[in-house]
Amino acid sequence: MMFNRFSSKTNRPKAGKEGNPMRSIRVYSAALIAVVLSLTAVACGSSSSSSSDGVGDVPATQSLTGKSGGTLTVLASDDVDYIDPGAAYYQFTFMVTSATQRSLYSFGPDDAVDPVPDLATKAADISADGKTVTVKIKPNVKFSPPVNRAVTSEDVKYGIERAFLPTVANGYAEVYLGDIVGVKDFTDGKAKEITGIDTPDATTIVLNLSRGTGGVAAGALALPISAPVPQEYAAKFDAKNPSTYGVHQVATGPYMIEADSKGALTGYEPGKKINLVRNPNWDRSTDFRKAYLDKINIEEGNNDTTVAARQIIKGNDQVNGDFGPPPAVLKEIFNSTPDQLALTPSGGNRYVSLNTALSPFDNLNVRKAVLAVFDREAMRATRGGPLMGPIANHFIAPDIGGFEEAGGLAGTGVDFLKYPKGNLALAKEYMKKGGFPSGMYTGSEELLMVGTSGGAAQKAAELAATQFEKLGFKPKLRLVTQDTMYTKFCGEPKAKVIVCPNVGWLKDFSDPQTMLDATFNGESIVASGGFNSNWPQLNVPSINAAMAKAELIVDESARNKAWADIDRQITAQAPAVPWIWDDTANIRSTDVAGVINKFNGNWDLAFTSLK
Amino acid sequence: MIRYILRRLIWVVVLLFAVSFVTFVIFYLLPSADPAVLRAGRQANPALVASIRHQLGLDQPWYVQYGRYMKDLIFHFDFGFSYQNGMPVRQLIFSRLPASISLAAGAAFLWLVIGIGVGIIAAVRPRTKLDRASMGLALVGISAPVYWLGLVALYLFSSDIGLIPILPGANSYVPLSEDPFSWFTSLIMPWCVLAVSFAAFYSRLLRGNLTEVLGEDYIRTARAKGLSERRVVFRHGLRSAITPIVTIFGLDLGILLGGAILTETVFNIPGIGRLSYSSIVRSDLPVIQGTVLLGAFFIVFANLFVDIFYAFLDPRVRYE
Amino acid sequence: MSALLTVNDLKVSFNTEDGIVHAVEGISYEVEPGKTLGIVGESGSGKTVGTLTIMGLTRAANTQISGQAIFDGEDLLSASERHMRAIRGDEIAMIFQDPLSSLHPFFTIGAQLVEAIQVHNKVSKTAARTRSADLLTMVGLSDAEQRLSSYPHEFSGGMRQRVMIAMALANEPRLLIADEPTTALDVTVQAQILELIADLQAQTGTAMIIITHDLGVVAEVADEIAVMYAGRIVEQASATELFANPQHPYTRGLLDSIPRLDRDRSIGLDPIAGRPPSLIAPPSGCAFHPRCPRAFDRCSVELPPLEAAAAGSEHLVACLLSPEERIEKR
Repeated sequence: MMFNRFSSKTNRPKAGKEGNPMRSIRVYSAALIAVVLSLTAVACGSSSSSSSDGVGDVPATQSLTGKSGGTLTVLASDDVDYIDPGAAYYQFTFMVTSATQRSLYSFGPDDAVDPVPDLATKAADISADGKTVTVKIKPNVKFSPPVNRAVTSEDVKYGIERAFLPTVANGYAEVYLGDIVGVKDFTDGKAKEITGIDTPDATTIVLNLSRGTGGVAAGALALPISAPVPQEYAAKFDAKNPSTYGVHQVATGPYMIEADSKGALTGYEPGKKINLVRNPNWDRSTDFRKAYLDKINIEEGNNDTTVAARQIIKGNDQVNGDFGPPPAVLKEIFNSTPDQLALTPSGGNRYVSLNTALSPFDNLNVRKAVLAVFDREAMRATRGGPLMGPIANHFIAPDIGGFEEAGGLAGTGVDFLKYPKGNLALAKEYMKKGGFPSGMYTGSEELLMVGTSGGAAQKAAELAATQFEKLGFKPKLRLVTQDTMYTKFCGEPKAKVIVCPNVGWLKDFSDPQTMLDATFNGESIVASGGFNSNWPQLNVPSINAAMAKAELIVDESARNKAWADIDRQITAQAPAVPWIWDDTANIRSTDVAGVINKFNGNWDLAFTSLK
Repeated sequence: MIRYILRRLIWVVVLLFAVSFVTFVIFYLLPSADPAVLRAGRQANPALVASIRHQLGLDQPWYVQYGRYMKDLIFHFDFGFSYQNGMPVRQLIFSRLPASISLAAGAAFLWLVIGIGVGIIAAVRPRTKLDRASMGLALVGISAPVYWLGLVALYLFSSDIGLIPILPGANSYVPLSEDPFSWFTSLIMPWCVLAVSFAAFYSRLLRGNLTEVLGEDYIRTARAKGLSERRVVFRHGLRSAITPIVTIFGLDLGILLGGAILTETVFNIPGIGRLSYSSIVRSDLPVIQGTVLLGAFFIVFANLFVDIFYAFLDPRVRYE
Repeated sequence: MSALLTVNDLKVSFNTEDGIVHAVEGISYEVEPGKTLGIVGESGSGKTVGTLTIMGLTRAANTQISGQAIFDGEDLLSASERHMRAIRGDEIAMIFQDPLSSLHPFFTIGAQLVEAIQVHNKVSKTAARTRSADLLTMVGLSDAEQRLSSYPHEFSGGMRQRVMIAMALANEPRLLIADEPTTALDVTVQAQILELIADLQAQTGTAMIIITHDLGVVAEVADEIAVMYAGRIVEQASATELFANPQHPYTRGLLDSIPRLDRDRSIGLDPIAGRPPSLIAPPSGCAFHPRCPRAFDRCSVELPPLEAAAAGSEHLVACLLSPEERIEKR
């Protein structure tokens, strides 16, 4: 059977809010699966950092006024990860939940760093020891039908509790809120509720933590896990395995997924559609959202993103959902109708990782030789060339703290990353230093490379293989699906993969730690199970120690400086060939007054309107 | 005949068992993504993965998992839940069946009418320009990749991105129950695109068969009786020439009911084909199992119907 | 008595990818009402093509036909296809060699008989069925009513040929063309079928052309015999005359190859050596000369005309040998 031309999609990771720079390092793999799901992606565009004319760039402050009414169509290639807001954790899903669910805190369109109170009345009150977080909620927010009653703090409590139920299987609750007292007893089934969550009255909720991680916990309250769920209605659905609350969910936001009178969703069919309609119980006066649109139809399954992108550009009332326009279409849009394009830095990089734990790349000079010889310009061309973003010269991405401090676009200054097209003579020098007098690799074993089949990823993998051949290596390229590549090969040290040509990382939020910790911290290596994200298995004690220190720095500039320094140290170790910092491109029909949610990196449905 | 059908039905069941078993084994033997790790999400940690693995029953030996699956399937007609979105597989499949059936049935009608029509015209006028032109065109039709054809059709005729915007394009499918007229117009292009290669193939096949049959002695007998050429071709010739087509048609239809992946994809029709494709990409075993079983079901039943129908068409088969 | 069918200088050739096939190269004969003409020859001698052409069944873009076939005062070769359809199966009917392949395998005997009747007669299906049953009884099949619902493959070869005969006689044709009617049958059945044909012909008074490669067959039924070789008639005479006094070396060869009870089995048959000639590039002169045991120089150069074997005789032969030489024993 042939599966040709399935174009790529972007399923960028959702950034978790940085609540406190000292937050747990356990967020390490936050971006892993997101990247896993997105590497066929064409998250691309002219980087805001590189396109001096700013064509297509989203302005710092967007106009938030619009006309009420109308139906917006969102074209998507795939489904949300989980329709259940308690399990949702992808950018595209958050696009939906941010319009249907009111968590305690939420992100306005223009501020990707600081959330604003949503269900909460004001910022969270964190005790001095960081062990108690208190939030007051608005008394007059109501659930959509069939529940129809006002939200209380009990509902927020249940929303958090159910996230810990195995039938819901929330992927981040444990990481951000695992320190709440009583979580273990609850997840083990020994307690019926989480004792550490207090609701002294209907509008107050208190989180009691066993450690001083209140900052992290408060940060997580800007995720849908803190959206209220009515227990008397939801419990029967949560008792099912898996929970069916997702397809019976009630909303608190301006929109709800279309449902029948009993609350069963009629507007959701996995892989087909998600239809949002106005929530009749939503009170505009309690919300910062504008909610101009009357109806939003998300139409999934548009696997041919070239066709879908053209439909959006030529048609009416449409925006993209989980995919970016493919390179060729993007160039066209960039050149002819750039006003329909919205470019935002993705905060991500792509690199070819070298397994530093195994021969031959346990040899630093051999690694440097590889970096020196790589034609990274050709690598970038596989994704569409300069328009898709600048060539990466180190690992922290543009617009993330520490980027400039680490050397900015120019790089950290190492000679082996000085030549975007590669430098064979320099590479041979390093090979000689590495113990290969001819300047060429003389070992006879094959290099196991595991890449992603299909599309731009396969092109990049195949090109990467030829780069190794320049120095006499014998790469043996194996192409598998992206999920398989990560979970069975590159994320599994036992698989002994030497080169992973299709890996990359996206920020969780605008903090350099989220770029480097999970990917290059030797302490982060997961020896087996298929979810290691330190693909080069870089384990340099001095770097590990520097990270442990830097995690505890509170002052932002000092923190950025420390992580920039770590970036320099990592780059000097040449664990991987960085080759692009790419951007996210969103597109809209001409009659759509689109507003981008910068935190989420895609259209904000609660602010977008029709002209 | 009844006994024959019963015997065949038993075989169908055995075959479906075998198919489900092989799918299961392949899934476990070949490296594919670990569903538990995928489901664990971005914040995967060993404890969470282990607990999900337990929830999904993936910590059991494969034969226990298979046994459990078959038990649910046989006793409750329960295909399990998608690892990906937690939805019941049965519901996923049944909600997509109408689209696949609409697509396959409409296209089948088209390609039968066109394929048989062109085949007859070419066969009764052998070696004429009309014959050569239609058979040449058919060869092109057979070779044209469906996906490419679909894109060409979209860029030519779709109302949003086409040069001659006359037909609803990709993503316009509407269920028959919602709006019959839109259902029909939205499927015109997919039907045509899907039918092209089949029509081409059938016309060539029928031309070959019919040419051969028209040289048979019993056709000479029919002519010697004084029958009109029309009656000779349609009643005597076609009756024989169509029989092999019935076999192939049954199988083709069976396969397509199991999902026309490329056509469904290029036109974004929410059918079984796309469901099975996305489930394979995501290592969503329960959905893979469900769609594979459904496909196998259609194919073996198509086979059975073909064989039974064949007996009605060809009296010689009945007595063997 | 005037002839029912008069064939005059009939020529038929086909354009094929390999070249022009000269199937019939100018044959003439007459068939009188109630009489039987036997046409004898090897396969490829043009005997079948000639009669199919008279029926209008060889008309095609790649076929050239010339000459005349006057049936009942009307030239069939120039008649419209529509008119020919009215004649076929009604005025002139055919019986073919292989009754299994000549009956449609998917239709019942009844359906095929009814169709043959209804195409020329405006009668109800019931009436046609009754008539069909009568016909089956007439050709000697018992349980005719039930047989109508049977399919050809349920019958034996002889029974199938009886069905073919019934079908041919359905509309009481004035001319019956039987093309190798017994070749595909068992020897024992052959005689029965020939007898049946002869009986029915006697009953109905129909004229008949019987085509065969087997002189033994025509010996029993034919009044007149024409021997064909490579598209031409090489000898023609009344049956008694031909058997008593064969003139052409080819005819003699055919006669020698008939199994006969009065011959020693151990000698075996004496088939004519060599293969039938190519019809695309036939041998020069007399087409038979490469195989003729009596050929001499002129045979490869000169085409012998079909003329009276002796002055005033109705026995025609096309051979360059002198009348004396022809009857000499080898």
